[in-house]
Amino acid sequence: MNAPFRIATAVVLAAATHLAGQVFKPAAAKTSSTAKAWTQPRTADGQPDLEGVWTNSTLTPLERPAELAGKPYLTEQEAADFVKRLLQQVNSDRRDGGPQVDVNRSYNEFWRDRGNDLVADRRSSLIVDPSDGRIPPLTPEAQKRVAETRAFNQQHANEGPETFSLWERCIMRGLPLVPGPYNNDFQIVQSAGSVTILAEMIHDARIIPLDGRPHAPAGIRQWMGDSRGHWEGNTLVVDTTNFSPKFSFRGSDANLHLIERFTRVDPETIMYEFTVDDPTAFTKPWTARVPMRKTPERVFEYACHEGNYALADILAGARAQEKSAAGGAH
Amino acid sequence: MRNRSMACINVLMTGVAILALASTAAFAQSFKPPRTADGKPNLNGIWQVMNTANWDIAPHAAQAGQVVALGATGAEPAGLGVVEGGEIPYLPDALKTKQQNYANRLKNDPEVKCYLPGVPRATYMPYPFQIVQTPKTILMSYEYDGAVRTIYMDNPGPAPVDSWMGWSAGHWEGDTLVVDVTGFNDSTWFDRAGDFHSDELHVVERYTLVSPDVINYEATIQDPKVFSRTWKMSMPLYRHVEKNFQLLEFKCVEFVEELLYGHLRKQPSK
Repeated sequence: MNAPFRIATAVVLAAATHLAGQVFKPAAAKTSSTAKAWTQPRTADGQPDLEGVWTNSTLTPLERPAELAGKPYLTEQEAADFVKRLLQQVNSDRRDGGPQVDVNRSYNEFWRDRGNDLVADRRSSLIVDPSDGRIPPLTPEAQKRVAETRAFNQQHANEGPETFSLWERCIMRGLPLVPGPYNNDFQIVQSAGSVTILAEMIHDARIIPLDGRPHAPAGIRQWMGDSRGHWEGNTLVVDTTNFSPKFSFRGSDANLHLIERFTRVDPETIMYEFTVDDPTAFTKPWTARVPMRKTPERVFEYACHEGNYALADILAGARAQEKSAAGGAH
Repeated sequence: MRNRSMACINVLMTGVAILALASTAAFAQSFKPPRTADGKPNLNGIWQVMNTANWDIAPHAAQAGQVVALGATGAEPAGLGVVEGGEIPYLPDALKTKQQNYANRLKNDPEVKCYLPGVPRATYMPYPFQIVQTPKTILMSYEYDGAVRTIYMDNPGPAPVDSWMGWSAGHWEGDTLVVDVTGFNDSTWFDRAGDFHSDELHVVERYTLVSPDVINYEATIQDPKVFSRTWKMSMPLYRHVEKNFQLLEFKCVEFVEELLYGHLRKQPSK
């Protein structure tokens, strides 16, 4: 029996954002296409100013769904229909299914922060390269590894903490910064020589040095890897390596080289772009573009592990079910 | 003649003493901290204490550890203590709670479970922490468990909700960063020795750069449910000066899963 949030995890990348009416053309230069002139604000030490709290919630999925193949951009009508279908898919307030199904759906949209819209330029996927909007095929080794992990997790579901997701174990939300069903807020703080990205979930401050120092020694592998940043014009480029083999993003492995780009394109928007470069896992690199919208909210404490009753209760429940299935024998 | 020379010597000695005092004070006052673009002392950097306050903030001798198999590696080192006056002024009932905490510390110390350490304990955990300082926001990121706190420098108002790390409002008093921390829950301890607080804890921290690589840190503790008066702890924070020093991960949640969930694991069929 799947816990409600396993279903949620399956639709985790279907989320929503509002943009301030900004149309972002993928191949265009960094300047915006609106008529109003806008100067890039700068911090005290001359960096382009990315400071503030930003949300990347959006209904646009990471990958283009099969039914939208061949349609990188949607018309207004197609977008409205698509949004309606997505919201219906995640709607837990339907009354079809009976009481047990209702209970399973109690982890409903009240708890979520998906937003209600696609990205403003009505792209049908966050992935912009390859042009089909889908993650490129995995290498044979990666396919094998992913299949084995999936099989193991299914076979041994609820037997111990290791088969749960990193979110459910309260280890981390991870990289890159893709929208999820909630806690889509990130705070950026810039001091001389570094940019810090504070993720609300699960309280992680990624302090990125800009001083050109090398990465940490190759023998140090971390869940969030090891990040280094530099400016290219008005774009912050962050290079992350040293990922732990325990971390996988859509099939990536410890050789993952993640390149992220942050560009403030207007007062309300940072355009965030990430490239997954991992030749032992993916047959070619792939890139997604996710608008981050300024929000007046603060980032609050997310004491995930301290309140993680769910993991203990799911394990205890599974043991109780096994016991009663075995006729209550001790 | 003898009296006059004694008088001279006295004047001389007093003069020397005055000069000595003056030069000590002058030395402390003469340190001019490097400043950020907005003119404040620059606290940016990675810092760590060199004391055993996390074991026990009061003065304490060394003693055997709780886990026999760890031998000397699990034993507790001594410490002169960081509590000014040496004694924590517990109310009588609270002292009983502290003693119970101490007796059950292996089970009940939140650090054992990789829980957030709260303030001021986060400052003197045996791991480095980094200060990222801007005019409106000062972030403190602690290597232990990736704990992080935001110090709001723009009058954020009262804590909207209780939290483990509290709600921090900061301002400058001359060259001292003063941080007022409220909105704590009652779940953190001050150390591994069971020193605790209620949800009425109110901490005021003071950070002063006294030399290029040393911050003088003070934390005033107020909690009328637990202590008979306000009390204070103080300690130096030392800058990590190694080239390219950085925080690394200590994401300890993974390390305590067996401890917390091991008894709920499916046992292999016999």
